[in-house]
Amino acid sequence: MPDVTKFSRGGLILFLSFLLMAVFSPALAPYDPWVRFEPYLPPGHEHLLGTNDMGHDILSELIFGSRVSLIVGFGAALMATLIGTAVGLLAGYFKGTTDEILMGITDIFLMIPQIPLIIVLAAFLRPSFWMVALIMGSLWWTSTARVVRSKALQVREMGFVQASRALGFSDRHIIFTDMLPNIFHVIMPKFMLSIASAMIAEASISFLGLGDPTMKGWGMMINFAFTRGGFINGYWWWYLTPGLCITLFVLSVVLLGFALEEQEEATMRLE
Amino acid sequence: MSSPLANAAPLLQIEGLSVSFETPLGRVKAAQDVCFDLREGETLALVGETGCGKSVVASAIMKLLPHNASVQGRAVFAGRDLLALGEKEMARIRGSEIAIVFQNPSLALNPIMRVGEQIAEMLQVHKGVSRSRSLQMAEDMLSRLGLVKKETASMYPFQFSGGMNQRVMIATSMILSPRIIIADEPSKGLDGVLAGEVMVEMARIKDQVGASLLLITHDLLLARDISDRMAVMYCGEIVEIGKSREVFSEPLHPYTNALLSCLPERGFQPIPGSSPSMIEPPAGCKFHPRCPQKQDKCMRRPEMVQVESSGEFSGANESTGREVRCWLY
Amino acid sequence: MLAVLKAEEVGKAYESGLIFKKRHIALRGITLEMVEGKTLGLMGVSGSGKTTLGMMLAGLEKPSSGRVLFAGEDIWRLRGREFLAFRRQVQMVFQDPEGSLNPRKSIERSIHEVLGLLKIPQREWLKRTGEILEMVGLPEELLCRYPAQISGGQCQRVALGRVLLLHPRVIILDEPTSALDISVQAQILNLLKDLQQELGLAYLLISHQPEVIRFMAHETIVLERGGIS
Repeated sequence: MPDVTKFSRGGLILFLSFLLMAVFSPALAPYDPWVRFEPYLPPGHEHLLGTNDMGHDILSELIFGSRVSLIVGFGAALMATLIGTAVGLLAGYFKGTTDEILMGITDIFLMIPQIPLIIVLAAFLRPSFWMVALIMGSLWWTSTARVVRSKALQVREMGFVQASRALGFSDRHIIFTDMLPNIFHVIMPKFMLSIASAMIAEASISFLGLGDPTMKGWGMMINFAFTRGGFINGYWWWYLTPGLCITLFVLSVVLLGFALEEQEEATMRLE
Repeated sequence: MSSPLANAAPLLQIEGLSVSFETPLGRVKAAQDVCFDLREGETLALVGETGCGKSVVASAIMKLLPHNASVQGRAVFAGRDLLALGEKEMARIRGSEIAIVFQNPSLALNPIMRVGEQIAEMLQVHKGVSRSRSLQMAEDMLSRLGLVKKETASMYPFQFSGGMNQRVMIATSMILSPRIIIADEPSKGLDGVLAGEVMVEMARIKDQVGASLLLITHDLLLARDISDRMAVMYCGEIVEIGKSREVFSEPLHPYTNALLSCLPERGFQPIPGSSPSMIEPPAGCKFHPRCPQKQDKCMRRPEMVQVESSGEFSGANESTGREVRCWLY
Repeated sequence: MLAVLKAEEVGKAYESGLIFKKRHIALRGITLEMVEGKTLGLMGVSGSGKTTLGMMLAGLEKPSSGRVLFAGEDIWRLRGREFLAFRRQVQMVFQDPEGSLNPRKSIERSIHEVLGLLKIPQREWLKRTGEILEMVGLPEELLCRYPAQISGGQCQRVALGRVLLLHPRVIILDEPTSALDISVQAQILNLLKDLQQELGLAYLLISHQPEVIRFMAHETIVLERGGIS
């Protein structure tokens, strides 16, 4: 049994580092990522990760790039989770007609091919990355909804929910104080994983060239590296580093989700 | 003329077993100075209310307690102190020589393995029996426990009711013919009639394999019907031991008496007060705050004393093995 | 003697299947009366529909046929405030004591939320909590604990206390002691009896143990395969 606390502590540190990186980008980055220097410089004293084809400092790009990735990641995940939780809770608690309608809507959304739709929308609308986050959020809530619904159905049958109904509490009170806290531990890991999915999706879109070129996210960096001769010339400091960042961030998110689950189980073993 | 039971050497001797847990709420003294013998071929019931420490005693003997437990004392089995053995030795003894049947059968069984295979696995792993032969033996054991249909062995636990799963657990534990079987609340979750049937079957098989049974239960009537001797526990201590029928007809300890009065057939008379905390137990005799016969002496902890029984269940010269922890004696 | 809660030809059927609907009749033609200050015992093997009947009498499930009358009125015809008033007066205590308390709410919070529901001003909460704890025989130190940290008997008392705060006239007790040790069972049964005498409560006592029914019930009904035998 691997040492969970080490993993979760590692995940937390990693996560916080990226968070700090995004928040304090101007302070941390050595240069403004839009200032041009000599292009195609390899890593050296002045530019730790060299420069890209336009002469922008890659390290600064990397640091500022975290903002895009994190915002898209969080934004999409938050929206998806909020919508999904609301739908799942209401469907699971009220059952009957409400459940049928909500699940019907969920099924419709599930039929929509998500990544292709995002790609198509991105290709035609050329949206900013805020839009991308929004679109993802409005499509991804379905899996959360299903998971929340099944847990809600379970919790609803539990003794204390029946007892609350018998005592005459309003549905609103029961949903917020009885059901939600007991479903939370299912929502959190899904939220964390959604952040990871959203980031990877954003990176993929950018890599395909459909992202927002004005804000250079990590995916966009890889795209430029690919199209502007980074791969061919073997400039690993250009294409490898953004990929590494994506990987590490996703890893940290997954570890955090894992840690939250462990903590949940520990709390349930109160005695 | 002494009965064979009285002279049989004890198979398991528990001496001064004390268990405590460190918890955020304080130090829980789950068991204090527990001493009893389990003789060959007998059924000893360890009875008491929920939380009195009886399950802890069983887990302590099998060295299955969590890390924050500290255990003192000895558990001598076949000349060796179990509590001093290493994990590897214990793993060998568990299952093959001392088996334990737990409370929640549905949770203890592997959900993705067929029932017959789970039982057969015991034989394959511990005794190296061939697959076909072990499956056959598993089927035999199941039919002896009342699950006679041929297809039963190839079904999965989720297809069974709680009662059937309990019987599968019992089969798993008895298939290796262990010398001691520890059953922790085996009748919990089973309704009255079924519980009785399962226990009778278990007792029969136990006699056939010649094992001893340590029965842990809060069900007094079950203990009376199945066990030869009974040990009553309260707040981590054994307060009375003796032949089951004698303890029932002539309870010596005030707690035993009060507990028996709670039985429906005696009118549901409640014991005044509430169970004491195991973190800050009462000084001296643990029961004295609730005892109708308490004296000043009771602030000091009484020792276990032997009592001569005048009942009709004992012969003239034989020791009845009746012991009580009370200043009244 | 006033009949406070009545069931008239109450039945419950479950339907399954989309096209070829299968009807499973759990209960049929149940007629019974509950009287103030008296206990009606309800017996039957597991699966005979006892709990379902209890839930229908408490208004937690709707019967497929027949009526449930409280103080002469069909409860499913009551609207809004009247239904709420009915809910308060007919309460239910469930079988699994630990299950009837939210594991994430401390005992204090579980009790306070009922006081909040009754719109009792916060400054009175301390006093009322103390009173109800005394009534069900619980020490104050339990307030900061969580359901997992207290015993089954204590959980049952907390559940009972919450119910009593509503000043009900009828309490439906679904196997209130079957999950408890005999000593706790004796205590709870005696407590219930005392409360009945003190407050004039009507009980529907559901149990599979004949001794419990004998001890508490003034009249008994036996359910067999969905009907009264």
